[in-house]
Amino acid sequence: MSTRFAAALRAVALLAAVLAGPALAHEGHDHGAAQPPVSKTIAPRGEALSDAFELVAIPRDGTLTLFLDRFRTNEPVPGATIEVETPDGPKVATATTGGGYALPAPWLSKPGRHDLVATVTAGDAVDVLTLAVTVPDPKVAAAAAPAKPAPAQAALARVSEVALDVRERLTAKDPALVAAVAVAFLLGVLVTALARGRRGAPAVALVAIGITLVLGTAAFAHGDEDHGAPVQGAALIEPRQTTPASSDLAQRLPDGSVFVPKPTQRLLVLRTTMTEQGSFHRSVELPGRIIPDPNASGVVQSSVGGRLSPPPSGLFPRLGTKVRKGDVLATVTPPVQAVDVSDMRQRQGELDQQIAIVERRVERFRKLATSGAVAQTQLDDAVAELNGLHDRRAALDKIRQQPETLVAPVDGVVAQATAVAGQMAAPGAMVFQIVDPNRLWVEALSFDALTAAQNATARLADGRTLKLAYQGTGLADRNQAIPVQFAVQGDASGLRVGQFVTVLAGTDTEQSGLALPRAAVVRTGNGQDVVYEHTTAERFEARPVRVEPLDGGRVLVAEGIGPGKRVVTQGAELLDQVR
Amino acid sequence: MMLPRLTLAGALLAATAAYAHETAGHHGGRVADAGKFHVELVAKGETVDVFVSDEGQKPVPAAGFKGTAILVVGGKPTRVPLEPADGNRLTGKAAAALGDSPKGAVQLTGPDGATASGKFN
Repeated sequence: MSTRFAAALRAVALLAAVLAGPALAHEGHDHGAAQPPVSKTIAPRGEALSDAFELVAIPRDGTLTLFLDRFRTNEPVPGATIEVETPDGPKVATATTGGGYALPAPWLSKPGRHDLVATVTAGDAVDVLTLAVTVPDPKVAAAAAPAKPAPAQAALARVSEVALDVRERLTAKDPALVAAVAVAFLLGVLVTALARGRRGAPAVALVAIGITLVLGTAAFAHGDEDHGAPVQGAALIEPRQTTPASSDLAQRLPDGSVFVPKPTQRLLVLRTTMTEQGSFHRSVELPGRIIPDPNASGVVQSSVGGRLSPPPSGLFPRLGTKVRKGDVLATVTPPVQAVDVSDMRQRQGELDQQIAIVERRVERFRKLATSGAVAQTQLDDAVAELNGLHDRRAALDKIRQQPETLVAPVDGVVAQATAVAGQMAAPGAMVFQIVDPNRLWVEALSFDALTAAQNATARLADGRTLKLAYQGTGLADRNQAIPVQFAVQGDASGLRVGQFVTVLAGTDTEQSGLALPRAAVVRTGNGQDVVYEHTTAERFEARPVRVEPLDGGRVLVAEGIGPGKRVVTQGAELLDQVR
Repeated sequence: MMLPRLTLAGALLAATAAYAHETAGHHGGRVADAGKFHVELVAKGETVDVFVSDEGQKPVPAAGFKGTAILVVGGKPTRVPLEPADGNRLTGKAAAALGDSPKGAVQLTGPDGATASGKFN
């Protein structure tokens, strides 16, 4: 190794040792470093964070106003007890109408740094928070402001302004001026050379062009030199007096972050969530509608055409009536045609006639049978014939008056009822539909074949979601799609058969990233998607992100922000409008 | 040839170590920043001891200081007033026994009336 390298090493070592010296004395962190002032128009404030709460303290006009929010969600915490250590002992802040807490604090009017300790009790959560508020010295601020310039000084300022203007014009890059000077110089040199003799002309011309180029460049480079110089005139102009406003305004700070004071955050209802890394199944949206569970619903149809009449109770079950399996819902009396009626009358007459004849015969045989003039078998035959005739006559009577009963095939609720007393029901017509309201299915149309056992949800028009269990997929094509059936799990109240729903079914493709509500992502003016990160209590910073669709309510942030960050999920659109 | 290299490595290590925050104090307690001071909190039984030192870990005499420790014990905040004792120690007694390393904060009021507070998690 060369001695030169060794020397270099020694030099670096020395430098490191020298650097380590002050570092040891300082412990590597600064003490009492006040927060950088957000803006001149914003009152001084202090803030403290813990894993449960976020506390902002604003001293103003002898009152300390405190705003307490949940750390993760940015939700205001009402009804908390905030005890602040004051020079006069601990004091409890009282809740104000604006959702904050106020405490009279005359001791805070003294300029300088004030360290506060606040004990927060909200429900069963207790936290001790320390925060520092720096009250600016009004005297120092006044001294910093320059005195009003005298008339003579004002005149001087005017002169200096004019002089500055001229100087600026001279030093400004003016290509036309530079070019004119250069061409004149070149021409002069050429003319001189030509006047002296022809032989050296090309060489002289080359030299002249070279010199001109160099000089020209130098002239261009010169342009910026005086711009950084102090401007004497401007210091004499009286600056606009900025008095602290009585209330702070939301504003976009020079570094691009958005400052939103706590009262404004309450008005805009800003809510945040903590980002979490996870892997998600991409879902597809399918149009669907509610259908009754085929195994828990039924229809009541009449097998014969006939006149409808109420059941023995006298009333048809109306819509919504609960029925049990086997209940008689209605009766159908088949009508008898005119031809049949005459036929039956004829038959009836014949039977009556035969009955009369056979009755007399039976009577006669019974008397003779005892004397033995007629065989017993003959009497038996006659009795059997009479019984047969009576049966036929009875059946003929019955057929005219026995109606068909319609019974409920399942337990459930009457979902459809078309029965009107006296109405003629066609054979096969549906009279009642019975549905079990707790057992409903969803039928959706899918353009892709969905594989089984996937988590699916249904979203209703009012935003309610239902958990679905996959039941099966049909193979028969319907409008270029296949029907997929799901069973509604859990509470199915409030649903009606035929209602349209949007089914979100998971697919096999898995994506990893951070799932955020759709409302968290804002499209900015330049077409970029951003989310707003809640960096400190009252500051929000836009983070450009790459988003991918996830499901109806959420998007997947693939890149741009990491886990464990607080991202605005509600009111991001409003935050983006702050200028 | 080895000497310069060793010097370099040593110096760099020293520089790195200095930048790490020191959490263990000289008295076996936890150290936190409080304004321009370092405070070390030692809670043993019902006694709360707070040791004050400056940025360079040099003890600062406790005379003239006043303090309050607010510690969360069993889900309830306990306020312990602190009085200066010997050396750089302020001490106070709580009503109930404090558990192991209770979370809370210590507020100090210096002889000049300036307040400083440190948080212990």
